[in-house]
Amino acid sequence: MKYDSFIIGGGLSGLTCGIKCLREGLSCAIISSGMSALHFSSGSIDLLGYYPDRSVVYKPIDYLADFIQENVEHPYSRCGVDQVKEAFDFVQEELRFEDLDLFCNGDDNHFHVTAMGTLKPTYLSQRSVFNERIKEAFKKRTRIAILNFKGFRDFYPDLAIAILRKNPLFSSFEIQSDTIELPVFSKTGRNPHEFRSIDIARIFDSEKYLQKIAHRIKKAAGDAAFVGLPAFIGITNYNRIHKRLEELTGTLIYEVPTLPPSILGMRIDNALKSRFASLGGVFIGGDRVLSGEIQGDKIDRIHTSNYHDPGFSAEYYVLSSGSFFSGGLASEFDRLREPIFDLKVYGTREREEWYASDFFNRESHPFLEFGVLTNKDLHPYSQKGDIIENLFCTGAILSNYNPVKEGSGGGVALSTGYSAAKRILERLNRR
Amino acid sequence: MKRFETDAIVIGAGATGTGTLRDLALRGIPAILVEKNDVTSGTSGRNHGLLHSGARYAVKDLESARECIKENRILKKIARHCIEDAGGVFITLPDDDPEYHYMLLEHCGYAGIGAKEISIKEALELEPNLNPHILSAIRVPDGIIDPFRLAAANILDARERGARVLTHTEVVDIIREGQAVKGIRCHDRLSGEDIEIYGSVIVNASGVWGQRICELAGIELKMFPSKGSMVIIDYRINNVVVNRCRMPSDGDIIVPGDTVSIIGTTSKRIEYSQIDETTVDEDEIDILLGDGEKLIPNVSKTRVLRAYCGVRPLVDVSGESDGREISRGIVLIDHEERDDLGGFITIAGGKLMTYRLMAEMATDLVCNKLKIKKRCTTHRVPLPGSEKSSSAKKRIKQFTGISRSVVGSTFYRHGERVFSILKREEKNYGLICECEMVTAGEIEYALKNLHVKDLVDLRRRTRVGMGPCQGELCAYRAAGLFVEFGSALPEEVNRMFIDFLEERWKGIKPILWGDSLRESEFTYWIYQGLFGLGDLKRAHEESDE
Repeated sequence: MKYDSFIIGGGLSGLTCGIKCLREGLSCAIISSGMSALHFSSGSIDLLGYYPDRSVVYKPIDYLADFIQENVEHPYSRCGVDQVKEAFDFVQEELRFEDLDLFCNGDDNHFHVTAMGTLKPTYLSQRSVFNERIKEAFKKRTRIAILNFKGFRDFYPDLAIAILRKNPLFSSFEIQSDTIELPVFSKTGRNPHEFRSIDIARIFDSEKYLQKIAHRIKKAAGDAAFVGLPAFIGITNYNRIHKRLEELTGTLIYEVPTLPPSILGMRIDNALKSRFASLGGVFIGGDRVLSGEIQGDKIDRIHTSNYHDPGFSAEYYVLSSGSFFSGGLASEFDRLREPIFDLKVYGTREREEWYASDFFNRESHPFLEFGVLTNKDLHPYSQKGDIIENLFCTGAILSNYNPVKEGSGGGVALSTGYSAAKRILERLNRR
Repeated sequence: MKRFETDAIVIGAGATGTGTLRDLALRGIPAILVEKNDVTSGTSGRNHGLLHSGARYAVKDLESARECIKENRILKKIARHCIEDAGGVFITLPDDDPEYHYMLLEHCGYAGIGAKEISIKEALELEPNLNPHILSAIRVPDGIIDPFRLAAANILDARERGARVLTHTEVVDIIREGQAVKGIRCHDRLSGEDIEIYGSVIVNASGVWGQRICELAGIELKMFPSKGSMVIIDYRINNVVVNRCRMPSDGDIIVPGDTVSIIGTTSKRIEYSQIDETTVDEDEIDILLGDGEKLIPNVSKTRVLRAYCGVRPLVDVSGESDGREISRGIVLIDHEERDDLGGFITIAGGKLMTYRLMAEMATDLVCNKLKIKKRCTTHRVPLPGSEKSSSAKKRIKQFTGISRSVVGSTFYRHGERVFSILKREEKNYGLICECEMVTAGEIEYALKNLHVKDLVDLRRRTRVGMGPCQGELCAYRAAGLFVEFGSALPEEVNRMFIDFLEERWKGIKPILWGDSLRESEFTYWIYQGLFGLGDLKRAHEESDE
């Protein structure tokens, strides 16, 4: 079978691209080698969070037009303002089919609290992380309770509170931490000190202990205007659990993203995959693309670990295999490369120029901007400098942007994924 | 201003300083140790951790070789839990002069080092990863020694015997009265407090920094610092110490230890003014990996975890400053004799291997000055944790219900003190650092007993953040435990958390490619992208201004 589009990489970018392809009636397959970056993300989706001087962007949509003009090689410039907006709307819309409703503050950014008590500007958040009801809480100006579950080693409210207390926004609140015991452990004989977020999220999903947990939260929180909990109130049943917890405790409850595995990210990952499958997409998990046959200016066929021969064939291919961490890019002692097609990569050979002298350098690290070079249509180049006509590159594999410094990672992933799908559609229609 | 009075003051918490403090304590002499940074934060903690058999020195310096094998045997008894009796080999590569093999055997014989020629087949059975093209091989009683554990155990014992330790406390002045020292003035770098300590004898055991201490006392001692760099290979690629059979040179040794292997070492003379800001150069990485690969070809396929360097404290004993007569051996100076300054002693030079002997020599001189007749016992009294000759297997059996690797690792690091750490409380078993199997219980023990002031200190005591991930997840967890166990306020912990990650970064930068780059990208996403620690760092910097 020959697919209309074949996507390498099942993260936010690949899945957005895949879903858009399917929605337009194309046949589509995604191949994914493992867990995507969503599994260690905040679970919020950024558009643009920071200006180059590190000051916060409040109105990202307004800023986007100027930003694109100033950064012509930036992935957002490949999409344009309208397509970026469309892509965000599209992803929100599609996730709603899966009962995952993302909060959006009009055209503005909102802030979510990090595990360290810093505030991070973002564009879309899950409603358990941020919603309009926070205004009610801020009117009360009483207490905030940040709770942890006894023995959970991946969240330390006291560290966050020390920072929050210094924030003028929270100056009229009294902020307290407390620990509550999860009822389930005493019965199962399991040791809570060995649990990670995913184990606890499963306990929440079961609902069995919800009443008891709610009672304990209520007791610890007292009259708090709202309660912060580490983000693990359910992986599948989270909407209901969140609602029930708020009802049972009579208080607002917000989730704080903490160390991976990110339950918040997994919810998005699950929802997108589920959406992709229900639209008839083929998801090939646990397989890896080893090589591609390039004939002239086109990829003819690709070979994977499990399907080496004859491999897969498609009209169009999309490379959304991520950055260094995900294996989309590789670095060696003295060179950078793209491992599947050996595409042209942006970045210097001088290793000393890959990094900044201090880890938390104001200007961040150059290696984060390394990636595959593309033309305006997201087509990459072979080492000889030829454009590969039926291959698009999207997401973190792209060069000329710094997702962390700009606060643009999620936005670039979904916008370029969406944009690639639109381009594929356009080409197929033209025939 | 705080004020202490004691008999002896020791400056420097490297192997020699901590060893001297323990020796003083064992002889019942009240003493205080002052260290400007942390225990083993200088040269003692920046080497490859070879428990020398003496074979490396046998051809060139027979006296040093004899000292090494003697101390080797003592340390195997008194510091069991700091040592792995791994054994070692010397291999001759096709490029090497085959004659050296015979010279080495002969000189090891003179020094009393049990060196034995083995066949190439035997060598490859002993160490399957060896370069198969070797021409000959010699087995020697080399081993592995953990300097962090060794110094921590010396401190632990000294403190349990009444000695006092002040780390992160810098000596700013030596108090003199006429031709004798009376004490020191120091500055606590954490609290900002000034401290005066009075004592009639001062032991300058501050290694390469000893030149500055002498300057404070108004006397001259010339050091010739030489930088040595090493790289750490992820995973333990060899079981025994692998030496190249030739005159000691760059990149000729691979020492296994804990979960890693270390390729050593380069040698570069540096200016004295540079001793606090040494970094590993790219050409050193090239040399170490290139030559390391000749010993064990797998090196090129294995991830490099980190690079670091130490400064060797070579002392000019001629008194003239031209450096012609630099000693690599032990240097004990009674400044009363040399400079007419009473009560002041410098113990320098030597090696990690001979720290105990150096401590003995210094303490003998202190006793002499204080007119105390007490004999040294450090060669027979075991360090805390090494009291019994037990095995990990036996201890694992005693802790049913706890993961074998947790008990094994805890025993490996703390010896018999495993009983104080793995108490039967659930919270003790929770893993904080998965790479090195460090539990919350071990961290609590270290915070309360091993003189830990910040996260970097904690790493030296427990290996938190030393494994493949370099603190990716455990840094945050360990930071949280500082607050939980009441060792620091949240504001302080937030600062040490950032400092810890910056310190890890120093050793990652020179080897930032391949999996190290992948891991660093991940760490950056978490701690900057997810936690916003960079914003916090800038807030700290602004508030400091």
